[in-house]
Amino acid sequence: MTKFIIRRFIGLFPTLFVIITMSFFIVRIAPGGPFDREKRLPPEILRNIEKKYHLDEPLLKQYGRYLLDILRGDLGPSFAYPDHDVNFFIFNSLPKSMILGSIALGIAVVIGVGVGMISSVRQNTWVDYTAMSFAVIGITVPLFVVGPVLMFFFALKLDWLPTSGWITGQHGWVTIIMPVITLSFPYFAYNARLSRASILEVLRSDYVRTARAKGLREIVIMFKHVLKGALLPVVSYLGPAFAGIITGSVVVERIFRVPGLGQFFVQAAFNRDYTLLMGTVIVYSVILIIMNFFVDIIYGFLDPRISYS
Amino acid sequence: MDTAIKESKDTYLSELNQPIKGVSLWKDAWRRLKKNKMAMFGLVVVIIYAILSITAPILPIYSYKYQVIEHQYLPPSLTKKAGELMIEREETLLLAMAEKMGRNELNDQEREKLSELKARTATETRKISGKVVKVHDRRYILGTDSLGRDLLARIIYGGQVSIAIGVIGTITSVFIGIIIGALAGYLGGRVDYIITRIIDVMYGLPYMMLVIILMALFGRNILNLFFALAIVSWLTVARVVRGQIISLKNSEFVEAARSIGSSTGRIVFRHLVPNTLGVIVVFSTLSIPSFIMLESFLSFLGLGVQAPFASWGSLVSDGVEGMNLYPWRLFFPAIVMVVFLFAMNFLGDGLRDALDPKSKNKL
Repeated sequence: MTKFIIRRFIGLFPTLFVIITMSFFIVRIAPGGPFDREKRLPPEILRNIEKKYHLDEPLLKQYGRYLLDILRGDLGPSFAYPDHDVNFFIFNSLPKSMILGSIALGIAVVIGVGVGMISSVRQNTWVDYTAMSFAVIGITVPLFVVGPVLMFFFALKLDWLPTSGWITGQHGWVTIIMPVITLSFPYFAYNARLSRASILEVLRSDYVRTARAKGLREIVIMFKHVLKGALLPVVSYLGPAFAGIITGSVVVERIFRVPGLGQFFVQAAFNRDYTLLMGTVIVYSVILIIMNFFVDIIYGFLDPRISYS
Repeated sequence: MDTAIKESKDTYLSELNQPIKGVSLWKDAWRRLKKNKMAMFGLVVVIIYAILSITAPILPIYSYKYQVIEHQYLPPSLTKKAGELMIEREETLLLAMAEKMGRNELNDQEREKLSELKARTATETRKISGKVVKVHDRRYILGTDSLGRDLLARIIYGGQVSIAIGVIGTITSVFIGIIIGALAGYLGGRVDYIITRIIDVMYGLPYMMLVIILMALFGRNILNLFFALAIVSWLTVARVVRGQIISLKNSEFVEAARSIGSSTGRIVFRHLVPNTLGVIVVFSTLSIPSFIMLESFLSFLGLGVQAPFASWGSLVSDGVEGMNLYPWRLFFPAIVMVVFLFAMNFLGDGLRDALDPKSKNKL
């Protein structure tokens, strides 16, 4: 087991290296630079700026410099906001995105599995049908429709919740309700369907029949026997769900004006702010890769059939 | 002699291909699909959307980019002309202003203003695409947007763009995926190893980020959008096709084909790939809505389709601005898009059940 974890951990680095290399070269070979303005800068000023950011050096040398900087944990200065470096933006905005994302994911998993459980136990009753129709809506309707529609009804028409803002602002924690609901909705729906299907399958299995034959109570069977086996598909879906939550948070932050990393990412894309763009992508990728790593390990713990040799 | 061998080979081959069985598989699937009410509903909706988008240029709708600035933010109305709506709006505005000043009725000056507007809207003409029309007689069934463009036309043309991106994106990704997956699966060994590694690494990437970077750097136009979506989305098809081919490549019909000297290319693309077609059809139906969602996602962020073109995503994004006062700008595009996505998903699920009865109770 330990060997497997170590091997998987070492395997993370090539992926990370590929991501850094790819984003570096894609960004550099693209036409147009971060200092293109409506009014052209005088060539000598442009030269000085490029010199300051080492953009006049050969590409490979820049690449080497960038790799070394990253090893030291420095993502470089921002091109569009000369007073700040990329680390500053990331340290300020990442925690907000993390709070939003982790609450959304937690809700998606806990409530999703809960709903899946209830509808599998009450299969083909109105509870099941309602829950599953809800799940279909969650899977089909895109985030950027759910968000504005929620905002329209609950903030503008009913005036129950503020339209935007953040925890530290004047409205406090209620500001996070709508972003979290919007962000978790599709993954809640997916988890509900996944866990319903897999619980139904496990309920028909021999070991559950044995447990029933032993005279265990239904609730014990559910939580001790069924759930552990039935959680496997949900766990393996966690990886894609992380990726989805990261990209989804870009839209959700935009709709509800959350000052998270996603906002800076989109802004950097508009500004052609190379270093900020690469920095955000690297941060997102690191989170994603680490999460996938944990998912693999959890999967191993849950499924005794997997051998690590 | 030679021709005789060739002929016998051909008959032999066609026997092995068993077109009759292939047809019966699809017939069987169609029979099952017809029983699935949701899937048939989806199919009908998809066909209606397809017809509307294809015939958009000859439909009796207004231009999607012609602006009548005076007609901005007109509410949807089936019966009233644009001119009447303008007068109504002006009247409510004047009344509200009068009320603020403590009057219950309009004064003479304001009444004159109104009648002037009435006279003008009744007669004013404008030249639109070569024809002189009474511009205020236009009827906007779904209202207008911030520049006085017809929302109905924009939704239909936006649908054209969205559906085109869904279909073309799917075709490109399926095409790339089949070729790469088939090669990896059939050749095996080192080629397979390298391709699988590449796919694994790319799966680890937050690919939406990659698309956003590509769009930001190479310019925001539809062509780049296709390109960016296509290069990140062939992974799943490649994986599926590879898996199918590995499981099939040692089967007897491939052995037989090999024994009579078929080339690698022929075995792969004539014998193996057609056997994966069911999976690919299901994948394609389900990937069209996901492409549409990706595109709308980008357009929503302002990184996708650019004005004057529209897509459902850009229309929803436009509608979010000022949705309190002009909710139709948000709701109509959103409803139209969501209905299509539902229809596509029902159809995809139906096809999956129809083509693979084993997965009936699964997602």
